[in-house]
Amino acid sequence: MATKILALKNFVHSPFKALLKQPVSFNINNLKCISTSPVFCVNFFNKLPAEKLWKSVTSVSNAGAKKGRGKGAGRIRIRDLNRGQMIGVGKVNMLWPGLSAPVIRGRELLKQQRLPDDPERMEKLIKLRDSMTKFRRLKLSPIERGWSGVRMPGRSLGPPDPVAGEEFTGFETKVLQLRSLLIMKGTLGRTRNYQAMVVTGNGQGLAGFGLGRAKEASAALRKAKNRAGKKLMHFDIYNNHTVYHDFYTAFGKTKIFVQKQNEGYGLMVHRAIKEICQAIGIKDLRAKVEGSNNLQHLVKAFFIGLLQQRSHQQLAEEKKLHLVEFRDENEFYPMVVASPSKVRTKEEIPKDETLDFIQYVMNDKVILKKKKFPPFYKTMPHYELYLKKFERYRNHEKIRLNLKVEYGEMKSFLTDKYPDEKVEKDD
Amino acid sequence: MSLLKVIRINTKHIFTKHNETHTLYISNRKLSIVPSVYDQENPAPKFFSSGIQVLLKRLTRPEFSKVFRKRTNNNTAVLKTPVYKFLTDEELNIEKEKANTNADRLLQMPPVVKLHEQINDVLSKDPALVGYDNSTYMFTDITFGVANEHRIIVQRNPDGTLESCDRDTRKRLNQIYFPMQGRKIREPKVFSEPEKFNGLLEGEKYEYILDRACVQYEPDERKYQEITSITYQHIDLHSKFDLLRSTRHFGPMVFYLTWHQSMDRLMLELVQSGVVREAVLLAALRQAVHNDLSNGEDYNALVSEILPRPIQLTKPEILSEEDIALDTKCTELVDTYINTSSSMKSQQALALQGFREYYQQLVDLSRGLKKAHGNA
Repeated sequence: MATKILALKNFVHSPFKALLKQPVSFNINNLKCISTSPVFCVNFFNKLPAEKLWKSVTSVSNAGAKKGRGKGAGRIRIRDLNRGQMIGVGKVNMLWPGLSAPVIRGRELLKQQRLPDDPERMEKLIKLRDSMTKFRRLKLSPIERGWSGVRMPGRSLGPPDPVAGEEFTGFETKVLQLRSLLIMKGTLGRTRNYQAMVVTGNGQGLAGFGLGRAKEASAALRKAKNRAGKKLMHFDIYNNHTVYHDFYTAFGKTKIFVQKQNEGYGLMVHRAIKEICQAIGIKDLRAKVEGSNNLQHLVKAFFIGLLQQRSHQQLAEEKKLHLVEFRDENEFYPMVVASPSKVRTKEEIPKDETLDFIQYVMNDKVILKKKKFPPFYKTMPHYELYLKKFERYRNHEKIRLNLKVEYGEMKSFLTDKYPDEKVEKDD
Repeated sequence: MSLLKVIRINTKHIFTKHNETHTLYISNRKLSIVPSVYDQENPAPKFFSSGIQVLLKRLTRPEFSKVFRKRTNNNTAVLKTPVYKFLTDEELNIEKEKANTNADRLLQMPPVVKLHEQINDVLSKDPALVGYDNSTYMFTDITFGVANEHRIIVQRNPDGTLESCDRDTRKRLNQIYFPMQGRKIREPKVFSEPEKFNGLLEGEKYEYILDRACVQYEPDERKYQEITSITYQHIDLHSKFDLLRSTRHFGPMVFYLTWHQSMDRLMLELVQSGVVREAVLLAALRQAVHNDLSNGEDYNALVSEILPRPIQLTKPEILSEEDIALDTKCTELVDTYINTSSSMKSQQALALQGFREYYQQLVDLSRGLKKAHGNA
């Protein structure tokens, strides 16, 4: 393939030379046999320019293109055959003063001469040309990367553009969705539109999402970003790290069960919800999405859920009871987080009232917790065998650690007695 | 100091005991702290007497935000989600009662007891067994439900004597058969290497040291008493009493300082921070422990007045007439204490003078406010 293309190159770049093969007077002294009679080699290589020749190689028929030919792995790409070549340097390694070398070097006047051939020159050229055949993806640094490679979802866009001189300081925008839509138009037929959904927020309770449509992806993103900046909402964050209570929320067929978590849990949620949480400033949360995975519905459902949260004070007032928090790390000390203005007594509470906090905040919706079955291998004979076999080693790791703490190495009471017998290194 | 005592009591163990104290003495030479242990009179009857226990608990000044502070000692990677409950007033009171008993549990003071004595209990001598083996045989009764200190642990020596094991061996064997969580069979480096121990002291990790010592040692062990003694003295020297307040170690520390007649720096701190009521309690503690104050009855009378009052966690902003009367009495008594029995007279008198001026302003303010509101 490479040699074929090389031959082609010769014709493409020096059709006239090949056509005429006319000797030039100044290189006579180095070339042995010269023919003075003109030779006409006529084929399409000489007749057509390079552009058309390349097109003949790379083009796909209209029907083929519709079927998707000429795309992907087997696609032939146009190569720049001039790359890596210099004027004055060729197959024959000639020294041309004034072209490929200076006229005077030191005090010496350089003369044309043939230098020894460079055998690697051709290989280097072929290598360079081969490197052009493969398609290179645009590389992003891991910090800039979104959810997946160079695709837009998950990538950052920076703060929205200032509105009436007001800057969005501390805001960060994340792309949640970027997709192309095809719409039919009376005059133009099927046209392509881009739709983008982004979320912007300052990580301190202010956040908003926006949807933008445009002919270009970048325009759609910009529109969405600026729209998000104009639709900011404020959310209270409990203890600056999580939501006030568990909640259930839905939009369309998308259902989300959100659970409050303690500090250090992190965000165990759908990636879009994670971006929203980071924009708002929620640090610890668990959410389970059920039903449809439609991203726009997901975003809307989560925002609605957050907006419908009730503060602890509101909950206490609704119930007319103290709301008390018990934390394991504080030895379950009863911390009163909210007290109503008037507290009901036990007699005033009806028998069938929901008093369980989680049941109350979930609006009596109960999460189905599936029973966890033991893994399949636990009933198999080999597992029992494994348990028996490894019972004697169950404490070894702890003992190794203790020995290393005590002596700085693996050592036993026998080591001093038999100093030659070293313990095998365990890695 | 302890060396002299030891010579007087028991000349037999002088060398071993001298060596033990010597190591720690050298380790703290920079601060010149000499550990002193409870090796003469037994402090336990006084420490456990109800009057002193009440005083010590009151002096601890338990603040629930510190008693129930965040502890992550259950080895879980992630903290559990908090539980929320809707409670009525009665239910909330029950929960608070539970929290109070829980606080009592958390604030239970490590016992202060006398140093244990060596066990020399030969059960039998069998000359027939001499040279039977060249190792010592240990026999441990591992019957379920026997307390560690009452467990029968004996050893048969190669010379045929059957005797009860000494304390160290007993502790090791008990730990092997009935391991106590957190206790190590070998002494942790924190306590065996002076640099590490001093590093902790310099870093003011007093509570950590004391907690760790409680787990590792028994309260009647010499090492435990030495470690706690050095720690208490370090705290006293730097007046870092606040670091131990609301913890279970404050009581034993106050008891230690009072027992060794060195509670005047604590008294100074109390007067400086304007807690005269606690200063009276401290003087009453000294009276209860040593009975060396001239007007002992006055202290006891005032203590019975102070104890029913709620604990003052913060400085009061408005005073009632009862408070003023009580505080004035306390100030008078502290004044007499400073003049008669204190070893830091001038400093404490200065601090008391400062408190009096501040208190007079407070009294004027609250009386003026009352007058302005018209309820005088």
